[in-house]
Parts: sequence; structure tokens; C-alpha cells
Amino acid sequence: MSEQLRRIDETLWEIPASSRADMRVPARVFADVELLEAIRGDQSLEQLMNVATLPGIVEAALAMPDIHQGYGFPVGGLAAMELPDGVVSPGGVGYDINCGVRLLALPLAEPELGGRREALVHELSRRIPAGTGRGGPLDLGPAELDAVLRDGPRALPGVSPGDVERTESEGRLSGADPAAVSERARQRGHSQLGTLGSGNHFLEVQRVAEIFDPAAAEAFGLAQGQVTILVHSGSRGLGHQVCTDYVRLMDASHARYGIQLPDRQLACAPASSPEGRQYLAAMAAAANFAWANRQAIADGVRDAIRRVLGSDVGAATRQVYDVAHNVAKIERHGGRDVLVHRKGATRAFPAGSEEIPAEYRAVGQPVFIPGSMGTASFVLAGEPGSMERSFGTTCHGAGRRLSRTAAKRQIGGAELRRQLEAGGIVVRCPSNKGLAEEAPFAYKDVDRVVDVVQRAGLARRVARLVPLGVVKG
Amino acid sequence: MYRWVEHTAELELAIEAPTQEAVFEDALAAYAELVGPPLDGQQVVHSVEAEAPDRAALLAAWLEELIFLAETEAFVPERAEIALYPGAVSARVEGRRGDPPHVVKAVTYHDLEFSPAGGGWRARVVLDV
Repeated sequence: MSEQLRRIDETLWEIPASSRADMRVPARVFADVELLEAIRGDQSLEQLMNVATLPGIVEAALAMPDIHQGYGFPVGGLAAMELPDGVVSPGGVGYDINCGVRLLALPLAEPELGGRREALVHELSRRIPAGTGRGGPLDLGPAELDAVLRDGPRALPGVSPGDVERTESEGRLSGADPAAVSERARQRGHSQLGTLGSGNHFLEVQRVAEIFDPAAAEAFGLAQGQVTILVHSGSRGLGHQVCTDYVRLMDASHARYGIQLPDRQLACAPASSPEGRQYLAAMAAAANFAWANRQAIADGVRDAIRRVLGSDVGAATRQVYDVAHNVAKIERHGGRDVLVHRKGATRAFPAGSEEIPAEYRAVGQPVFIPGSMGTASFVLAGEPGSMERSFGTTCHGAGRRLSRTAAKRQIGGAELRRQLEAGGIVVRCPSNKGLAEEAPFAYKDVDRVVDVVQRAGLARRVARLVPLGVVKG
Repeated sequence: MYRWVEHTAELELAIEAPTQEAVFEDALAAYAELVGPPLDGQQVVHSVEAEAPDRAALLAAWLEELIFLAETEAFVPERAEIALYPGAVSARVEGRRGDPPHVVKAVTYHDLEFSPAGGGWRARVVLDV
């Protein structure tokens, strides 16, 4: 691999399209020398080269500095496809359709939270079901579920217009069709709204530890020392099943469209084909479900805040923004419409974009980069370089470095819990094993990842958040 | 016989077994390890049917059925009587209700394999967790 990888500039490396006969475009990765070394330790780059073979891919298969090996597409990868006949690949979105992050800002600073911190974390863990497919606070009937699939958070009772406005795509992708979502997906999802799920999903109570860009922080409503709550979850079993259904459907359609793939998980079909259109309609519905899920979780968070900190604090808790990091969207780049697949990558539109709320338009779209559990997270703002270099995209997290097994070999869950608590972080987690799998050292250094996207001009640092308490799924 | 293979973000299951049916039994045992143990309680039996164009995809479909039962019925499988047909599996699956952690989101087609090996069969499947 090393002889094929050439450095383009300070933060960008490229594997030329000529490296493999089946590549249609180059594969490019944003990184620094140290991150690149870690990236080359697994199959990430080979997977990125596989993405570069997909019919209709435009410019390059791109990867963010948090790239790590996934299945089919690498996590931290993105690909833009020409329309109408470039392909759509369900694996290029992933099983957790519209997995994403929502940030809530409380109207108080850490000292005001004081001794009520543990009670708040405990109440959050009581209100927000985590872990398995346990039912959530809402069990939707068929008509209610249809409404959520069509309209996202707008379909939930009592949702504030401010929350909807401060959500990517205002929480609703157009073209969503509940009829494209299978009965099995509906069975998995109807009782899961308002639940966190497991794996790397979590809720975190945080403190704004550092402000890098005072003007943007002020626009986002963030101040030094302020308490925030970050929600990381997705479309739960409903989204997982939608992806499963359409990977199978497209896998069976390749002969019809003359598609040959280096990895079966890259299953795809032309976006304009019946399979492609049906998937896009189902994916949009699952994405809307995920936004409604994070809305229902945010409602539970506000309930917990009211109970522990008082109704005034609950009422004044403001949603900063909500971003998706597993989704495919039709966007305009370079004067044409393309279908941008983001798998473990976040939209990061710059100042001036009409796609972002008017109140943020002067500073750029908020982006949230959760670090690993117990380490810092970042608030970024989209920069013009994202439009020039990465189809309006930046990174999504720290990116795994170690396998779950390797993480568990290095530390027991009980010991990790003790260490986190010794560091002043309140921890609630249903399983010690699950806790160990998400140990901070299993991830790349989030500071380094964020440094690369800033130097590459994709997004800039606005604030750094440190954990006060975590509820892990 | 099954084992878990190191994978940065996902779980990779490798199986070697003397018969194709035994590959499916081992896949059930591996999944049961992830979602078990069952809570004490009455035995539950499910009939499971799945179809796929080839054996590898059928193994994925089999695991998808078990994931669906765990997620919607809190079902922890213990054993199964498995019958394989061209393009289909039919099974009587015994187990109990449990509290299965929702560890597996889906069964991927990445590096999916089901092939003859040394007089028996070898399979590989990557789970999204």
C-alpha cells in the first residue's frame, strides 16, 4: 500500500485511481502522519479503494481522519454519486441509519449544578432506556408510526418549533415513504422511540471547558463553564432492519444492472432504479425516525432536568443543534446535484449556507464530535473548505483504534468504572463488559482528529466539552 | 466449532463444522453466547424459516431471524433442529425468555463465506455491533 499512497498536501493523502484496475476515481484520506499510521493498521484504505469502484462515484472516495475499518464502506468515509444513474448503496449509509448527535445547553454553569450532578445522571439513566431492545416511553400504533416515518420529530406531541428548526434538514428528509419500510422493521422499531440503544451510544452530561471561537460559541448559545448534555443515538432496530432488507434486495439485483463489486456488502443499485428509489424512500423514513428518537430522548432529558433541577431549568434548556452522521442526501456541489453518502461523517456547511438555521448562518453549521467515553468532545463550525474539498463534510468522532476484544483484554469494566469515577465522572451503564468495550484508549485521539479537519479547512473548533457524567447504552 | 476473530469495530464469527447443518447450529451457539444467558422460565419454541440465493446469504438470514426474535420477543435461543434445503432453512428453535442485550444490529455481507473445507465446512460472517 505504501508505494501507492502519495501526499497531496499537509493533511491530504491520495491513492491514485491507477492503483487498481477497478478503481474509477482516486481514494483520498484526510489525516496527519500519526493518524495515517494507525489507519494503515487495518483494512480501512482497502475498503476506501473498494468504494472508489462504485458506478457513478464523483471525484474521489473520501475519508476523514477518524476513518476505521468497517464492513463495505469504511467508517469515516464518504462518497458522492452522480445523478440520476450513479448508485445508492445502503451499506454506504450503514445499519444505524441517521445515527447522530444532539446537543442540549442548560441555562446554568457547573458550580450551579454542584452536588445535584449525580442525581441528574441517575435520573437520566432512569428516564432514558438503554441497552437492549427494551421498550421506550412511546409505543406507537401503525398510524402514529407512519406519521413519524413521514415527518420525523414534527409528528411527536408538544415538540417546540425551535428544536425542529435547530435540527439538520429540520428533522425531515423529503421523499420518505412509510410503505417502503418493511413490516419487520416496523415491528423492531415501534416501541423503541426514546431509547438509547447499546454499543457506542450514550448520553453525556458535560461542561464547556474551553471556548476557541467566542463569536460562534455565542451564536450557538454556549459559554465557558456551561452545562451541556450530548445525546448519541440513531434509528434503533427499525433502521437496522431497513438496511438489512435493502442490502439483500440490491445484492439480488446486480446481474440486472451489470454491477460487479469487490465486496458483497457494497450492494447497490442505480439511484434511479426501482430498488434505488425504494431504498431512498425507506432510508429517508428511517432517518426521520432517528430524528424523532433523539427528540423523544431530549424530551426525556428535559423531564429529568425538571425533576432534579427544577421546571425553570428544564424549560430553558435549549437545543443547540442535531446532526446526522450516517445518511445519504441529495445536495448541490460543484454546480450539480449529487447523492452524498456519509458513513460516520458529518455535514459541515459553512457560513452563508441556506441549509442551516438563520441564527447560525453568519458562523457556519454546528458540528458535534463526541470523543470516546470519558474524554473531551468538540463543537465545531463548518468551513468553506468542506464545500471545496469534501462535499460539505467533516469527521464524526474519534474513530476506533482497538477491537472490542482487545479493549476488554486491557481493562475490566469494574476497573474502568472506578477510574472514570476517580476522575470525577459519574457513570451509569447496564453492563461492565459493555463499558470496557468503549474504554477511552480503544479510540484514536479526538484532539488530533479535530486538529486535522481544522488544518484541512473543513471545520473549525468552537468549544471543547468535558464529561461530568455518562449514561452508556 | 466457532471462534470470534479480531476486528476493529465489528464482531467477526468464524465457524468450522463437519456438516452444513452444524455450521448453522454453531452460529446459533455463538449468537446465544452474545445474548444469553436466558432467565429462568418456561421453554419457548419458535419455528424459523428463511430463504436466500446461496448458503452464505442463508447463514446471514438465519442469524437475522435470531436477532429479530431476541429484539422483539426477548428470546434467547438454546438449541435447534435444523433442516436445510436448496435456498432455504427450516428450524425448530428452543430457548427461553431472557434479557438479551441489544449487541448485534445486523448481519453484514462483508467477507461473507460458506465453503467446503477439509471434508467439512467453513463459514465466516461479520456482525455489525
